Amino acid sequence: MHERFANAFDPFVIPYMIGFVFVIAYLVGALCYVVKQLPLSDKKKMLKHLFSYKIFITVKDIFADCLLHVKIWKKNKLLGYMHSSIAFGWFMLILVGHIEIFFYAPHRVNLPYYPIFFRYFMMETETTVGGSVFFFLMDFFLLMVLSGIALAMIKRLRRRFFGMKRTTRLKWNDRLGMYALWCIFPLRFLAESFTSHISGGGFLTRGFGMVFDWFNQFINNDALIRPTWWAYSIALMVFFLTLPWSRFTHILSEALLIYMRNAGIRETSKNNGYASVEIYSCSRCGLCLDPCQMVSGASLRQMASVEFTRNIRWGQRAQALEAASYCLMCNRCVQACPVGVNSVQLKLNLKGADIQYRYPHRYDYVESDAANRPLATTPAWANILQSGAETAAVEKTTGEAAPEVVYFAGCMSHLTPGIERSMVRIFKAAGVGYTFLDEEGGICCGRPLMLSGDRIGGEQLMARNTEAILATGAKTLVCSCPICYKIFKDTYKLEGVRVLHHTEYLLQLLEAGRITVRKGAETGVYHDPCELGRHAGIYKQPRDVLYRVLNLHTTPYEGKDALCCGHSIAAEGMPYKKRRMIAKDALKKMTEKNVDVVVTACPSCKRAFAEIGTVGIKDIAEIVCEQLVLPQAQPQK
Amino acid sequence: MKETIAIIGGGPAGMEAALSLAGRGYKVYLVEKTDALGGHLARWDRLFPQQDPAQDLLNEMIGKVREADDYIEVIYGTELQYVKRRMRGLEVMLSNQTVLQVDAVLVACGFDLFRAERKEEYGYGIYENVLTSADLERKFKEKKVVCHDGRTPQKVAFVHCVGSRDEKVDHTYCSKVCCVTAVKQACEIKELYPEAEVFNLYMDLRMFDRYFEQMYHKAQSHFGVHFVRGRLSEVSETVDGRIQIKTEDTLLGRPMKLTVDMLVLMVGMQACAATAELAEKLDLKVSPSDHFFETKDLFLRGNQAHAKGIFLAGACTGPKSLPDTLQDARSAAESIHRYLTD
Repeated sequence: MHERFANAFDPFVIPYMIGFVFVIAYLVGALCYVVKQLPLSDKKKMLKHLFSYKIFITVKDIFADCLLHVKIWKKNKLLGYMHSSIAFGWFMLILVGHIEIFFYAPHRVNLPYYPIFFRYFMMETETTVGGSVFFFLMDFFLLMVLSGIALAMIKRLRRRFFGMKRTTRLKWNDRLGMYALWCIFPLRFLAESFTSHISGGGFLTRGFGMVFDWFNQFINNDALIRPTWWAYSIALMVFFLTLPWSRFTHILSEALLIYMRNAGIRETSKNNGYASVEIYSCSRCGLCLDPCQMVSGASLRQMASVEFTRNIRWGQRAQALEAASYCLMCNRCVQACPVGVNSVQLKLNLKGADIQYRYPHRYDYVESDAANRPLATTPAWANILQSGAETAAVEKTTGEAAPEVVYFAGCMSHLTPGIERSMVRIFKAAGVGYTFLDEEGGICCGRPLMLSGDRIGGEQLMARNTEAILATGAKTLVCSCPICYKIFKDTYKLEGVRVLHHTEYLLQLLEAGRITVRKGAETGVYHDPCELGRHAGIYKQPRDVLYRVLNLHTTPYEGKDALCCGHSIAAEGMPYKKRRMIAKDALKKMTEKNVDVVVTACPSCKRAFAEIGTVGIKDIAEIVCEQLVLPQAQPQK
Repeated sequence: MKETIAIIGGGPAGMEAALSLAGRGYKVYLVEKTDALGGHLARWDRLFPQQDPAQDLLNEMIGKVREADDYIEVIYGTELQYVKRRMRGLEVMLSNQTVLQVDAVLVACGFDLFRAERKEEYGYGIYENVLTSADLERKFKEKKVVCHDGRTPQKVAFVHCVGSRDEKVDHTYCSKVCCVTAVKQACEIKELYPEAEVFNLYMDLRMFDRYFEQMYHKAQSHFGVHFVRGRLSEVSETVDGRIQIKTEDTLLGRPMKLTVDMLVLMVGMQACAATAELAEKLDLKVSPSDHFFETKDLFLRGNQAHAKGIFLAGACTGPKSLPDTLQDARSAAESIHRYLTD
């Protein structure tokens, strides 16, 4: 194989080179921008990672996720093939192309365009037979990419073919990039085919080229060679120039995201450099649309995570904030995201950055002068807490034994007195020494404030509660609300205190034989609350409790695929009408099998579903309480 | 005999419309699903604003209906099965297989009371001393206004707007009569137990009609009833079975706790359970915002349904006080008369 042109240049490489230089400049600039935004500790982590052995894991991960798209394969085979055929095929074309250069034109390695237009600049000789492996490989991967492009076109026209109900709607910038991408490979195929009688080619390009050779009798198809190469080069340029503004930025940023994640960088409470990388890594694949209940249950397509990341990327702050205030934070989209963009955290951060403008209230006064103010003018809950802590402290000093359990019902359980009453009955039946911390009313656990983005307010409440809980001296904290449970478990620092959700605690009581239950005749299904399931990973315990008290059936919406009741406290912006639509839709899906009762383990879910009123709704504590067998063998109603 | 009309519902609206139509010489079938006339009126003790006994009004109306038996035929224990349009008029099939050939149908199916269990935070159905306004009225009627354990209530609180003006239960409308009923019942408690302390927890007091404001005034000046502006947040039970409530006095900007012997929930009105079914059978429209029947307009066609020959009267087209219901029934009779003589 030898070169056709001594100067190794043709003007058609210019568009490609413009695009290439632009992308490299953008890449360097963006990297600097991202790193600059990171805190120093994260910068160090990034540097350290480069020289650690873990870099190999990162390379593997990048290979698996960015090129092979293993995660998409797992979710949807056809979609997986589409993505990996384009990404991996393209990568292999570049790789094999470079190897080819090393073999046949090592002195041209320094020309970045040379492997791209290799077939134009090189011609076949008798000795090329040894290179037929390259011809084959290059054609094979080209075919792979072409098949992926064909599927991508089909996906735009018939998404049902891919098993997707919804896909993203594209704006002009994404369309331009996408059409350029669609053009690149067919043009390359044509250009190489037209040139194949000079350059040689594999089964695909040479095969197709031979058809053109036949045409050569009628027209001079050599005249087509340079225009097609020009078109190919221009398509590449358009793709590269639009890259920073199109969804295809993710090709670059996803690799960086994997690198950063493996280097140990995590999302923080501020949207910093890491967050920007996450936002740019969203490929707008639309896999988060179908799981989102705002989309499926309440026709709020514009609120989906994919639209949120788009809004935030394009600086549409008002829309992004609205979407964040609607989001149920059920984590179904995060679960579905093949790139692992934690859009829920991004939303929380955005709310946090905005909260001081939306709600400029501070609770500092509680801290400073609660003790000095006369009873009547102090907010009630400040008093309640103080007196709670004080009485508990008094009990401790007077030598009374600390209770075994401190029960924190939380605001939501106060609104569902049936749950509280059942818990108290169960404690009594089990003979547990307990103290009901917020029986007379208490202060909020702080998670609602956290979810609204008010971290400072939340932390103040947490400090107060920590004091009160530790003052009781109990070693176990039981919550009947998963919202409280989540924050007590993950964020509070309650040393020496076990935090249990009542589902866990009920199971412990049952397993220890401290309470006995009988199995009723009712049939039911269990609804996993988001906060307890996806957020805290508790799936097994409630079911272990429930199969003892009723005939438990399953639905397709369990565990990680559980639905949200629509009444998440995070979604402070969503009107009740929409919430009800989501609740209704979720309940309908869960009760496709006719059951007597839907059991849940969250007061908020209970209220949401009870409102719909199509089926009996109970909390797990209520159903256990109903089925309690008391020692005197007198069933308690 | 002139034309025939079927009236669905034997409450005040149905009876009054039947009497008006009978007075004009029409034949009326009054279809009542229970075995007695009177609807909610039959369960009430005294009527605002002047404490007239409900029984007297009911007896007078039922007596008149009986007197007019040449014109009014009451069919008890029956519901509407279906309606078919005929060449002339309508064919009404009842659940007891009776077929009526009529020229017009008047729907006067009334309202249902809001189910207070839906507001679990208020503890109805969980705590024995939490009642609804209808429960209290029954106690007045039975002359036994005591707590669950038989004690006389020393402290009573009334909670306004339970299931009204509440987005959470999808009832964004005002039920109109609960404010004044609460004032009435508060005064009656004070009449019965002058020593008792009585609280009204309201968000707005809507004393819109004749004599209402005077009642409200008297409740404060004469009976010493307390009015606190604030909605209830939660309810719990004390060891001795009393009810502890948490609320906020929004005029003072102060949270407050109150322990009472009896908590009365002023339940609002909602479209009756049969609304959706009737709407389908009779081709009527239901308002998406409050779920009551829609009328053609709110002015000159306020009793006409969207389907020809079908008319509406009373609280099935939105919450109404008793005087308003009776007037609406008479106006419906007038509408039917105009329709039939046109």
